[in-house]
Amino acid sequence: MTNHQTSRRRFLAGLGAAGTAALLSGCVTSGSSGKSASGGAVTLQSNLSAPQAKAAMEDLVAAYAKKGTGEVSLNTVAAETFRTQLPTYLTSANPPDVYTWYPGSVADAYARKDLLLDLGEVWESPELAGYSKALNSLCTATSGKKVFVPTTYYWWGMFYRKSHFAKWGVSEPKSWDDFLDLCDKLKSKGISPIGLGAGGNTAWVASAWFDYLNIRINGADYHRRLLAGEHRFDDPEVRKVFDRWQEVLPYFDPDGTAVAFQDASTSMLNGRSGMMLIGTFFADAAPKDALDDIDFFRFPVIDPKVPLAEEAPTDGYFAGARTGRHDEVIDLMRYLGTAEAQEIYIKGSSGTVLPCHPDAGDAGTPLVVKGRAHIEEAAEITQFFNRDSSDALQPTADNALTRFIAEPKSIGPILTTWQRDAEKIWNV
Amino acid sequence: MAVLTTTKSTSPAPAPPRGRRGRGARRTPPLVLAFVLIPLLAEAVWVFWPALQGFYLALTSWDGVSAPTFVGLDNFREMAGDATFRDATWNTVLWLVLFGGLSAVLGLATALLLQQERRGIGFYRAALFLPVVFSLVATALVWQAIYQPDGVLNQVLESVGLESLRHAWLADRDTALYAVIVPALWRQIGYVMVLYLAGLKGIDPALHEAAKVDGAGPWQRFRHVTLPQLRSVNAVVLSVIVIDSLRSFDVVWSLTRGGPYHSSELLSTYMYSTAFQSLRLGYGSALAVVIFVLAFGVIASYLVRAFREAD
Repeated sequence: MTNHQTSRRRFLAGLGAAGTAALLSGCVTSGSSGKSASGGAVTLQSNLSAPQAKAAMEDLVAAYAKKGTGEVSLNTVAAETFRTQLPTYLTSANPPDVYTWYPGSVADAYARKDLLLDLGEVWESPELAGYSKALNSLCTATSGKKVFVPTTYYWWGMFYRKSHFAKWGVSEPKSWDDFLDLCDKLKSKGISPIGLGAGGNTAWVASAWFDYLNIRINGADYHRRLLAGEHRFDDPEVRKVFDRWQEVLPYFDPDGTAVAFQDASTSMLNGRSGMMLIGTFFADAAPKDALDDIDFFRFPVIDPKVPLAEEAPTDGYFAGARTGRHDEVIDLMRYLGTAEAQEIYIKGSSGTVLPCHPDAGDAGTPLVVKGRAHIEEAAEITQFFNRDSSDALQPTADNALTRFIAEPKSIGPILTTWQRDAEKIWNV
Repeated sequence: MAVLTTTKSTSPAPAPPRGRRGRGARRTPPLVLAFVLIPLLAEAVWVFWPALQGFYLALTSWDGVSAPTFVGLDNFREMAGDATFRDATWNTVLWLVLFGGLSAVLGLATALLLQQERRGIGFYRAALFLPVVFSLVATALVWQAIYQPDGVLNQVLESVGLESLRHAWLADRDTALYAVIVPALWRQIGYVMVLYLAGLKGIDPALHEAAKVDGAGPWQRFRHVTLPQLRSVNAVVLSVIVIDSLRSFDVVWSLTRGGPYHSSELLSTYMYSTAFQSLRLGYGSALAVVIFVLAFGVIASYLVRAFREAD
C-alpha cells in the first residue's frame, strides 16, 4: 500500500515537472527550433481551392507519385485561411513542407526572416536553366538566395464576352476616351458597364483598378516605390489616380462592393454587366462552354509617354526552412519546375494560365495566345498590390478603395487615412 | 484504472504519516489534491499562461515571426489616437445595447409567452431554440444569401412595392452594422428564452396564487412577483449577454469582416484584423486586453452589486 503512495507522489511530482516544462516551452514568443518529421510523403499545402485548380493539383500529385522518386500528400486549404495561417505554418515546429505562394516582395519578406528553404540546388538543375532573367530575379531573395520555384503566371485585363459585345454592337476601345464612350453606350442600353466584385470576401479585387490606373499614369517604377513606402499615398501623384477613377466611377456596377468577384464574373458572363477588370483565375469557376466566348482587351493607355506595364502575377512554390525532408522537397521542387509538370497543371485547370518554363506548351486557345502576346508587349511587369507590397498592406487598400467607391468626394481624408494606416504596417 | 487504484489505496485506514513533517489526519487526501491540481494545471497551461502571455504581448511590438520588442505602453498610447479603435468601441457599445438589450427583452417576452404547458408549445419552443443549434458561421452564410443585392430580402421588398428600400445591405456603411445584429439576435433570443424558461419554472406557483388572492393584476404580478424571483437568472443572462456581445466575432467576420471601411467593426474584429491580417500582434494583444478589462469590469461590478443586495 505504501508503495502506491510513493508512486502516487512521484506521479504528482512528475506531473508538476512536466507542467512546468510545458509552461516554459509553451512560451508563444520563443521560437521553437523543431524540425518536421523526416521521411515519408512531402506535405504540400495548397491554396488552390477552386474546383478546377484543385483537380489539376490532384493530377499533378498523382503524376509525381507515378514517377516513383517520392510522394506528396496534398492539403488544400481555403485561400483566405491559407493567407492568414501562412506565418503560423512557417514558424510552427512541425510545418508543412511545400507551399503554393507568390515570389517577389512577399516571399522576400519571409526569406529575410530565414523562414524559407534555400532552393539554389533546384535552380542549378538543367530544368530551370532556361527560365527568363526576370523570373530569376523575381525568385531571388535580398540575401541572393533562390527561395522560390515559379510555375505559372497569368494576366489581368478587361474581360468580356465576344457574343455580348457583338449583340450590343460595341467593340474593344483603343484609348481612354474610347473606353469612356464604350461605357456610355453600354449604360444607355441599361447594362452596368463595369463589374467589380469587391464585396463579400474579395475586397482586394478593387486594388486592380488602383494598380492599373497608377501604372498607366505614374508608371510601374513609381507604383513599386509607392508600395514599398518610398512615396506617400497622400501625394498629388496618387490624387491624380483617383481623379481618373472618378471619371469612370459612374459606370461601375452599383453592387460592385456588395458581391464577391465570383458573382460579379457570373453577372458579366450573363450579360448583366458589360466587362470586368479581372485576372484569368476567374475562369477557373466559369462554365467550360463560356470559356471560348471570353475575350479581353488591354486596360486603356492613358499617357502614351509612360512605359507600358501590365499586371502578370507569377505563382509557384516555396518551402519552409524547418522542413525535415530536405532532399524530398528539392526533388519535388525540381519536378514542379519541369515543363511536364506545368503542362499537367495547365491541362487540368481552366487552362488560362501560362507556364513559366520556356519549353512548356500552354493551352493553345486563342485567348491564351492573345494573353501571351499581351504580356510580351509590356515593357514592365507588376505582380499585384499585395504581391508588390505585403499581405499586411492589402487591408489598408481595401478600406481606402471601398470607401472611395462609396464616397468619392472625400478622397482627401481617405488618402490621409490610408497613408497613416500604411505607415503602421511599414513601421512594424 | 488510475482512479481505481487510488480509491483502493485510500479505503484502508489512513496510511502512517510519512516524510519529515507528518501532518497526520489534517492532511488533504491525495485524491482530492489530484482532483484540484490536475484541472488547475490544465487550466494554467491552456488558459492562464496564454492569457498572461497576451498581457505581455500587449506591451510589445511583434509581427508574429521575429522576436517581439518591448515598447511599454506605446500600444495603449496609439489606441488613444486611433479613430478606428474609437469607432469600434462605439460600435461595440451599440452592439451591447441593441444586441444585449433586445435579446434580453425579447428572450424574456418569449419565455413568458411560452411558459404555460399547452398543446404544441414544445414545437414553438424548439423552433425558437433551433437557431442556437446552428453554427454562427453557417447562420451567417444563410443570412449573407438573404442580404445579397438580388437576395431574398430585396426580392420581398420588391414584391410588396418597396423597391425604393432595395439595398446592398451589407455593403452600405449605414446599414451594415444593423444587418449584422439581426442574425446574431435571431440566434441569441432562443438562448436567453431557455434561460428565462428555466427561471420561470423555479418560481413557486403559490406566490402567484397568493398575489392573485390579494387582488394583484397580471402586470403587478409580473412586476412584483416574477421579476424579483428572476433576479438570479438575470445575473446569468447579463453575464452571458455581456460576454457574448464582447466576443461576437464569427457572425460579423463572416458577413462583413468589419467593413465596409470599418463601419461594422467591433473591438473583436478589429483585434483579429490587426493581429492576423496586418500582423501587428502587439497592438492586437493590447486590444484584447481592453476587451478583457471591459468584459471583466462590467460583470464583476454587476456581480458584486448583486451579491451585496442578496446579503
